[in-house]
Amino acid sequence: MRVVVDQGRCVGAGQCVLAADDVFDQRDEDGLVDLLDPSPPQSRLADVRHAAAVCPASAIAVED
Amino acid sequence: MSIDAERLKLPLARPNVLELAPLYEVLRREAPIAPVTTPAGDPAWLVTRYDEVRLLLGDKRFGRSHPEPEKASRISTAAVQDGPTGDFETEEADHARLRRLLTPAFSAKRMRRLGENMEQLVEGYLDRLVAEHETTGVVDLHRGLAFPLPVAMICRLLGVPEQDTELFASLSERMAGTAIGEAAHEAREEFFRYMVGLVEAKRPQLGEDVISDLVRAQSEDPSFDYAEMVRLCVGLLFAGHETTVNRIGLGVLFLLTERSRWEALVADPAGRVDAVVEEVMRLGAPGDLGLLRYAREDVEIAGVTIRAGDALVLSINAANRDADVYSDAEEFNPDRPERTHLGFGHGAHFCIGASLARTELRVVFSALARRLPDLRLAKDVDSLQVRATLTGGVAELPVTWRSA
Repeated sequence: MRVVVDQGRCVGAGQCVLAADDVFDQRDEDGLVDLLDPSPPQSRLADVRHAAAVCPASAIAVED
Repeated sequence: MSIDAERLKLPLARPNVLELAPLYEVLRREAPIAPVTTPAGDPAWLVTRYDEVRLLLGDKRFGRSHPEPEKASRISTAAVQDGPTGDFETEEADHARLRRLLTPAFSAKRMRRLGENMEQLVEGYLDRLVAEHETTGVVDLHRGLAFPLPVAMICRLLGVPEQDTELFASLSERMAGTAIGEAAHEAREEFFRYMVGLVEAKRPQLGEDVISDLVRAQSEDPSFDYAEMVRLCVGLLFAGHETTVNRIGLGVLFLLTERSRWEALVADPAGRVDAVVEEVMRLGAPGDLGLLRYAREDVEIAGVTIRAGDALVLSINAANRDADVYSDAEEFNPDRPERTHLGFGHGAHFCIGASLARTELRVVFSALARRLPDLRLAKDVDSLQVRATLTGGVAELPVTWRSA
């Protein structure tokens, strides 16, 4: 699985951190998305997909 | 039931604080973007289907400002979400700056760290309620828990003195008032003056809090208008009073009006609370209107032509119960397979306080389930006093339990 985030679109909602905090974080300085793991294990697919679905800015793309 | 050819008049009367007007179901099916008359008497579009509400919230052709504010449709006589705000030319950039300023202070990580602090606060509130219950037999969960927790948290985050609580609680309530005419706008003016006083009192000794951050940012940025900063501080303090407070009340009502819901949470508070919180966010429907937007240009959507400058009321309440999206949409079911909702909005204006609210709700519902497993309503849900404000919710929450 490959995860791509677009910090230009991110609005810092933090929804992705709640969905999968081993894959996403928020930067301390501006609260924008920080991708911790661009290729998480396949077992994390459901939560990562959920993170992409609930992102209010559609700033997360997932390819499996 | 069919829809009258005449314009519907908002608000649509609801059976009680937990249910919506049955007409929403018809609207979603037959007229998902319907022409309506607002409570203020002006024309607007009411959007009720999940897909369109979500789409419009994420679409930059719709904003909060209006090119000719004096000509814009007014929504209600409350002093919040009642009409256009911001500068039509610079809205997007102004909003982006605000988000940049506020996002770090409300990040999911920071809010999680506040959780422990909140747990201690809630234990204290519950201790007091338990002691009061010993003598009275019935206690008001609204006054003793749902109100004080979010207010204490927003005061700490913003750096606002908690001893002024009574004053800005009353100002918040009046600002959101839908049945008091001009007094709502007078309350907004008064709240503004209070905040100017607070900002200036803090200025010589700025601290580690959100208002201090905003004062610093405003003094360093000539394009950041002073009045805009003060309005933002008012808005944050207002939001801390009028949102999570109501959501705690609605959540308790959903859980206690059907015993099996409460028992499921009591059986496994730690394992169940997150799903309960999300379902309370989906199904809880405070207020009778929705989020306000104005079209920035002509837009064709769902067979309707919306003209530049038209007002739209996006019904989060209706969208979150859309049967095309949710199975048994009207049912309170934390185990449902659908995990998304629009309870915090969507798009660029997504609720800045979402992580704060989620943390508060999680702490409250797990503590209640753990400490008061026998909790019951002491009054029928239909006879509870509902607040006549834009943000709705109950004014009282009398509860009881068998004392151990």
